[in-house]
Amino acid sequence: MKRQVPLILCFAFGIVMILTQFSPHSFSQGIYEEVISWTLIISPFALVLATATLIQTHVARIQRRTDHWQYSFVVFVGLITMVVIGVPFGPQHQAFEWLYTNIQVPMDATMFSLLAFFIASAAFRAFRARTFEASLLLITALIVMMGNVPVGDLIWNTVLGWLPLEDGASKARQWILNNPNLSARRGIILGVSLGVISQSIRIILGIERSYLGGGD
Amino acid sequence: MNRRIVFILVALAVIIPMLLPVSLPVSVSEPTQQLYDYIDALPAGSTIMLAFDYGPASLAELNPMARAVLRQCFDKDVRVIGFTLVADGTTLASTIMREVAEEKGAIDGEDYVFLGFRPGGTQVMLGMGSSISSVFETDYSGNTTTEIPMMEEITNYDEIALLIDLASGSTTEIWIIYTNVRYDLQIAAGVTGVIISQMYPYLQTGQLVGLIPGILGAAQYERLIDVPAKGMLWINIESFVHLLIVMLVIIGNIIFFTQRRREE
Repeated sequence: MKRQVPLILCFAFGIVMILTQFSPHSFSQGIYEEVISWTLIISPFALVLATATLIQTHVARIQRRTDHWQYSFVVFVGLITMVVIGVPFGPQHQAFEWLYTNIQVPMDATMFSLLAFFIASAAFRAFRARTFEASLLLITALIVMMGNVPVGDLIWNTVLGWLPLEDGASKARQWILNNPNLSARRGIILGVSLGVISQSIRIILGIERSYLGGGD
Repeated sequence: MNRRIVFILVALAVIIPMLLPVSLPVSVSEPTQQLYDYIDALPAGSTIMLAFDYGPASLAELNPMARAVLRQCFDKDVRVIGFTLVADGTTLASTIMREVAEEKGAIDGEDYVFLGFRPGGTQVMLGMGSSISSVFETDYSGNTTTEIPMMEEITNYDEIALLIDLASGSTTEIWIIYTNVRYDLQIAAGVTGVIISQMYPYLQTGQLVGLIPGILGAAQYERLIDVPAKGMLWINIESFVHLLIVMLVIIGNIIFFTQRRREE
């Protein structure tokens, strides 16, 4: 019963929602709009579930004294502080905005900014023209990188100014994005889309059941 | 070369251009020009939607785009409905809209409105196709959406001239799949550098009417509206970092081939 009810619901809603896409009748569209409002109501529960999971995970870490368990207290301090200020006073409260602007924003931005350092280091140590394919990737990457910043065109126009092509770096980048990149991406999109369709059919028909948990 | 030396070189490549008054010429790419022209051609009083689908991690690239687009819209008397599908982006988006509105003299509720955040992603996109006020019953300040002056004539996507998705993830593709195809909503995007290449198939099919590609796009847009700001500053810094990485790759390959020749 625990497995059959979700399978029946999934099948029924899957088929009905597919049918609503093919019928502009007001009855069909009424069902579509009703189901959308239901899903909008269900969505916030995902946030509740996420918060509960976060608390569970970090409580377990503290109890088991796993590596760096002390940092789990920081998670709780952050969570409780934002909830204590955010829930009664709202996100527009001065204290909430201050914490967001002066703590969350710099920390998030810093984490992302670190990528620049690691990318530079990785590019220096690993980006080698060992094979023909690697060389092709390397040359393409360098052209796109230089075409993606104004200094690329500046160098092109200064060093290769005698050529009849102005702003060659950005034009070469644009050509790469418009042609080889676009073709490859379209192939990927078509492949992924066909995969999504077949997977959806498997889920609706109850062939694919991994979303129910339990491993089968 | 020691990894620490590479890190120091990157830090210097970021810090030095910030201190020097460097200003490199920026040429405008076609996708950015297309978006600018599209908004420019909108009649005064039109309404666009601006989705702030990013958090603080991507603000360096996407905030300058948001500001540039808002400046153009307010200058053109194009009304803006802002909202976000990312919880982290709410305060960020609200602050940007308020600051640019104050700068341009735009009035909350008449020239722009910020609806805030709703969880649900795809369901929010589909729900607004039926009724925006059924998804966002109130705006971020708590005013009932249907009572906001600029929202009185707006029910759903039928009254929206364009949706611009400022994204650091895959939301643009979801907007295209669910709202362009089903509701014929015109969509443009401003995205971080790492996902620019994913957008090109949609530009070619016309499912994206324009694209602001990364910080370069932000700088290009600032040039188009003739208000140089952080986009222009940061693209100069990025120029030096890119140049450094290219040089590091070249040096790394020279060392690699020299060592291989010696071994042979």
